[in-house]
Amino acid sequence: MAHFDTEYQRLEASYSDSPPGEENLLMHVPEGAKCMCDTHHKPILNLSDTQIHTFLFSIGNDKNGFTCMLLGEIFELVQLLFVVGFTVFLANCVDYDILFANKFVNHTDSSKVTLPDAFLPVDVCSARIRDNAFVIFVLIISGVFWLHRLVKFIYNVCCYWEIRSFYINALKMTMSELPYATWQEVQARIVEIQKEHQICIHKKELTELDIYHRILRFKNYMVAMVNKSLLPVRFRPPVLGECVFFTRGLKYNFELIFFWGPGSLFENEWSLKPEYKRGGNRLELADRLASRILWIGIANLLLCPVILVWQILYAFFSYTEVIKREPGSLGARCWSLYGRCYLRHFNELDHELMSRLSKGYKAASKYMNCFLSPLLTVVAKNVAFFAGSLLAVLIALTIYDEDVLAVEHVLSSITLLGVCITVCRSFIPDKNMVFCPEQLLRVILAHIHYMPDHWQGNAHRYETRDQFSQLFQYKAVFILEELISPVVTPIILIFSLRRKSLEIIDFFRNFTVEVVGVGDTCSFAQMDIRQHGHPAWMSEGKTEASIYQQAEDGKTELSLMHFAITNPQWQPPQETTHFISQLKERVHREATGAPSDTNPLSLSESEPRSLIANILGPSTLTSVHFGRDSSLTNHAAAGINDGASALRSLSPVSSSLHLRGSLSAAHRAAGHTSAMSKGMAGSGTDARTVSSGSSAWEGQLTSLVLSEYASTEMSIHALYMHESRGELSRHTWHRQDSDESSDSVPDEVRSEPNPHSRHFPRSHTFPTTVASPSAIPTSASACATGSTTLGQEGASSQSSTQRRFSGSAVRSARVPMGGWAEDGQAAPRHHDPLPEESSEDEMPPHIHKVNAVRCVVGMAKLLCARGPRFSDV
Amino acid sequence: MNCRSEVLEVTVEARQVEEAMLALLHTILLHRSTGKFHYKKEGTYSIGTVGTLDIDCDFIDFTFVRVSSEELDRVIRKAVSEFKDALSNSGSDGMGQISLEFYQKKKSRWPFSDECIPWEVWSIKVNVVNLANEQERQICREKVGEKLGEKVINVVEVINRHEYLPKMPTQSEVDNVFDTSLKDVQPYLYKITFQITDSLGTSVSTTMRRLIKDTLAL
Repeated sequence: MAHFDTEYQRLEASYSDSPPGEENLLMHVPEGAKCMCDTHHKPILNLSDTQIHTFLFSIGNDKNGFTCMLLGEIFELVQLLFVVGFTVFLANCVDYDILFANKFVNHTDSSKVTLPDAFLPVDVCSARIRDNAFVIFVLIISGVFWLHRLVKFIYNVCCYWEIRSFYINALKMTMSELPYATWQEVQARIVEIQKEHQICIHKKELTELDIYHRILRFKNYMVAMVNKSLLPVRFRPPVLGECVFFTRGLKYNFELIFFWGPGSLFENEWSLKPEYKRGGNRLELADRLASRILWIGIANLLLCPVILVWQILYAFFSYTEVIKREPGSLGARCWSLYGRCYLRHFNELDHELMSRLSKGYKAASKYMNCFLSPLLTVVAKNVAFFAGSLLAVLIALTIYDEDVLAVEHVLSSITLLGVCITVCRSFIPDKNMVFCPEQLLRVILAHIHYMPDHWQGNAHRYETRDQFSQLFQYKAVFILEELISPVVTPIILIFSLRRKSLEIIDFFRNFTVEVVGVGDTCSFAQMDIRQHGHPAWMSEGKTEASIYQQAEDGKTELSLMHFAITNPQWQPPQETTHFISQLKERVHREATGAPSDTNPLSLSESEPRSLIANILGPSTLTSVHFGRDSSLTNHAAAGINDGASALRSLSPVSSSLHLRGSLSAAHRAAGHTSAMSKGMAGSGTDARTVSSGSSAWEGQLTSLVLSEYASTEMSIHALYMHESRGELSRHTWHRQDSDESSDSVPDEVRSEPNPHSRHFPRSHTFPTTVASPSAIPTSASACATGSTTLGQEGASSQSSTQRRFSGSAVRSARVPMGGWAEDGQAAPRHHDPLPEESSEDEMPPHIHKVNAVRCVVGMAKLLCARGPRFSDV
Repeated sequence: MNCRSEVLEVTVEARQVEEAMLALLHTILLHRSTGKFHYKKEGTYSIGTVGTLDIDCDFIDFTFVRVSSEELDRVIRKAVSEFKDALSNSGSDGMGQISLEFYQKKKSRWPFSDECIPWEVWSIKVNVVNLANEQERQICREKVGEKLGEKVINVVEVINRHEYLPKMPTQSEVDNVFDTSLKDVQPYLYKITFQITDSLGTSVSTTMRRLIKDTLAL
């Protein structure tokens, strides 16, 4: 009698003909089988990675649970009914003559008009509705729309329910902790249960990249197509000049054509049809695609009126209330749909993109506000003046005798004048505002990570502004575009997209790779430097890509860095690892300003310190430089020390970040905080800082700081890459017509494969050699004074999540040594230096602030909230 | 997509179709069957025996091993003969594909039917040739036998890899993993489907389903 209590194994034994006493062979159901029954491999990998993600984040970001979400959707449905019903009622069932008192009601008892008097009787009302074809049409459309929403709601409930049970049973997360879970945690658990249950049956282990590929398969294709300018979204209509037209309707049509519509290129959610993978009959396939696009375009054209009415209703329902509540929201800006595609990294989830863009929002809108037309300003000022005087008189009269209000149209003219003044005021720039777009653009770049090369140094030009406004458009324009989209979409499909069918076929054939367990994905999303790197973006010598294969704007490189930084446990292939570590090291070197040429090994091998700690390290040494300034700078020095210590206390975390993998293990571990504080206490004097802020810190430290830290690091890398790229192009141009380049430059250009990296503003020249006497103190003091303003306003301009970290002053002051301040160098480098750059000393505080913001870009986010103490001085 | 798929391809004469299919399907099922489970208490069970049987083919020089279960044999034979009929009705140069799909069931609540989640699909593509004379037939007889032998080894190799198999279920869930309707043997839940001529492509129904689903998910 054998008795196994092992894990299940193949039952080879039972196949043998007649094992003696087989009746008593006892097997045990392995642990975990029970939970497996609820958690088939289906929910996650077959159906709905996307839904897992949306579900988590729709819950997580609104901090409400399953029930709240359901309630919200139910109310939305009710609201829709109400809006339609009420609109129809207002249009057809109200006797406005009675309301406006043009007609008198013959009441016997009193002269008062009541609301019910104004309502028409039911039969009259329904007759009016029945007679009005347009109302019927609108009602039918809204009815269909509502039914669509209802079905979608039911469908969503089923999906949510399934995913909810997946979360609870398989991922072992309770609903109460779900809202507070981060995506990283969920992802880690998915990787975890793959090891246990093999939810994806093709491979033993699931990497982060696999999960991202699953979720973002089609989005990656879209990003790549926008990146390679394959989609027709840029147009040159005769009057408007170049403009970008990319709306939700258009995007929906693109997706319909490429990914899932009838006869699309994909045969199912995960694989391209085999005939599209072969090059043989590409012309025939292109023809077929072209005719499909034509048909879909025609269908769009036929459905145009319906969609148009739908759009108008939709816009009306969704925006009227908002506009009524805050009319300014139309003048506000938002990231356009095209911008979102253009700025999105490969393998970047929605919430990551949104948080990145939201962080850049403030700077971006400030940048756009720099460009107020002087003409408009003059007009607006005068209109405001006249409107204001009228308003003042009316108000004065009203105050004198309120019967003025009873005069017809007085109240309405007061309201109108008020609105008029508000509108005019938005065109009048703030008196204290200073035009300094270059720095603002740099701050924006730190968050959005992508911009065309020619923007650098041209930030003050209108062309740049116009191009930026394609990414960052007025909300009103956005709504308008959505409204005209039903008309324009078929035209674009039929006339522009159809011509590109061959390119599209080629694109899908050339840039699709099959990944085991994932299916067909866009090869750009593999982020392989060798295949898709662009030599100008640090991957020179490593890339073997032809021009056709290169991703534009350094997309591959930046995406790779972004992915590696946000997913520290991800283990990229050998070469990629090499690229990442090389780049990181280079950034460290430049950032610390350590004379690393002498001992590059010591930095990379001795201890993998964090970037920020590196930046801070030298700053303590060089804070002496401030000593000769005012008392202010003494404080600054103190602040530096504080900042340095605080940041260095972070370095245990970040070093483990570098040690890949240990990070999130540590971060999940129960003993994490104790390890952290041990690390903090380890650095002697730091203890003070730690104790002062630790209560606020420790709870949040784990995920919040880490994600913040990751985004900061990414900002630095993005800036660095753009910088060195810019240096490359500018440098060649620079040498031709001015000769103030240092003597060694030409040699370096020839000898080094990456000359631009050498010309990255090296900050170690700042503290040690007094290179250009005027530059250093000004930039330093600019940052120092800037930080005082930072204390007051800068804090608000930064990510609000950071505000809870209370603390001491002026991290920004040490940044000039950190390496990002090349203000001193910036002036000579530009040929047409902006006026304010040459006269930094006399500048109003605003520019200092921006300077400081620019200096501390990224890092200061962690710290600027500590400003207040300093600003008290 | 979350399932392994293996493709086998054979070229046979019309009269060999049935035996070739039986040989391959039975070989796969032999390795994907266990003895009947007898649950003693929750989580503990014993496994019955499975007998095997050698089958000699009439039209091919080949012998294969199958589970000695008449019921199972009957089910498979029925499916294969349907396939054969459909193939012979389709015309002269018949091309067809028969697939054996192993799946797990997932119970759902009332309005929805149970979901079947495949984890392994074997597709056997059949190419039927017409032969002119007896001599060619004789050669074909031997050649097909050899080919089938290769395929069987191929199947065994695939099955011997340590890859995903559904975990052993508890008594209440045994129906979700195993086909328990047979008396003497208990294969993993399977489904045999076939397709005549290579009409691979998105069928209308899948497209419609997808269209609706994606509209909903919009």
